[in-house]
Amino acid sequence: MDYSKILRNNNKISIRTSCQQHSQQYNADFNIRFVLSGNESYQIGRRSLSVYPDSFLILNKGTQYSSQVDSDIPAQLFSINFDQKFLCDFQTSHTLNDDKLLAKYRYNDNSGYEFNETIYPFRGDIRYNINHLKNHLDQGTQDELLINEYLYHCLLNYFRIYNEEFVEKAEKLNFLNSSTRIEILRRLNLAKEYLYSNYNQNVSLEELGEHACLSVNHLLRTFKQAFSLTPHQFLIQLRLQRAKSLLKTTDYPVNEVVNMIGFECSSSFIRLFKTRYKTTPLKYRQYRLSA
Amino acid sequence: MMVKYIPVFTEDITEQIDFFTRKLGFKVADKYIIYEDAECKAIETGNAGVYFVLVERSLIPGVKNCIILNTNDCLNDYHLLKTKGVFFFNEPQYLSIGLATYFLDTCGNKFLLLEERNYSE
Repeated sequence: MDYSKILRNNNKISIRTSCQQHSQQYNADFNIRFVLSGNESYQIGRRSLSVYPDSFLILNKGTQYSSQVDSDIPAQLFSINFDQKFLCDFQTSHTLNDDKLLAKYRYNDNSGYEFNETIYPFRGDIRYNINHLKNHLDQGTQDELLINEYLYHCLLNYFRIYNEEFVEKAEKLNFLNSSTRIEILRRLNLAKEYLYSNYNQNVSLEELGEHACLSVNHLLRTFKQAFSLTPHQFLIQLRLQRAKSLLKTTDYPVNEVVNMIGFECSSSFIRLFKTRYKTTPLKYRQYRLSA
Repeated sequence: MMVKYIPVFTEDITEQIDFFTRKLGFKVADKYIIYEDAECKAIETGNAGVYFVLVERSLIPGVKNCIILNTNDCLNDYHLLKTKGVFFFNEPQYLSIGLATYFLDTCGNKFLLLEERNYSE
């Protein structure tokens, strides 16, 4: 069921499902975009990235981008645009309490919040809250106070994720200058989103470094500092996570799943899956079916 | 909303577990919950999915009896109860086991509204 809802405070929520779609857009508000099934590709400047159900994308006010869905599996897209005034009220309520969560984020009246426009993990509280919100909207709720309660918590969850994924990871980098740390992390996020978007391809360290504007040595050293994993370990973890999701939500045979996530050898996939999740892919699927 | 956890406040947790298991024949459950920031033992009640939660009184000074109501959607129930005039101590807070908030009934009894969330997936 597709719909678009504009609340009285100008927050906007839209959900649509499509197999083929291409659009070019200018982002008028701070926007969070989720892909609940399938995947959607984005072109932001020279960057190409793909969003899957385990991640979400944020776009700052004023960003121009194009998006594309081109797959046999319908992609279900859920998007929230936050009105500037709602964001300001949110900021005020949070800088005034003990949490001081937003005190360190840059805000100006012209462009609003400026966050690192990249892919973030869609898990934990934000996932629960978005699923609840979607259920209410699917059931046709008209209670805007309730919808805004979820939107408020969605922002709260996003700021926590931003803090964990950006601020705390930048602090882990061994550079004295804080602006250097932020710039390096911004580039590492380019590498990370490249892995998120090309997880099923053979990605070489050279092309990863080139995409992130870092030398291979610099990339390897700083990636491990920030994310506590090498790019290769990060890629394997991502592939296993997406294999798990495919096993849970589709009927594809295990061999096909292995190909879809970019593994060349079934036995090494099964071994890695078992090491990480303490069960085999087949048993995991059977367990999920019985549950 | 449903009752899933029944808090039992105790001075001596070992003695209390002994009483529940040896005298009453209940079993210690293979799980624990966090209540008021303290880790608590859960005891199976015999009713599927319903547990006694043993809370050591010394860990939470001044604590009073509390009814724990489990919900599938804390924000929804918080919003519904608030619109009916129920007094809440705070906005829903994120804990290590999920989302929770406290409210009082008209006689001053304390309720914990808890949505358990699985963060390991």
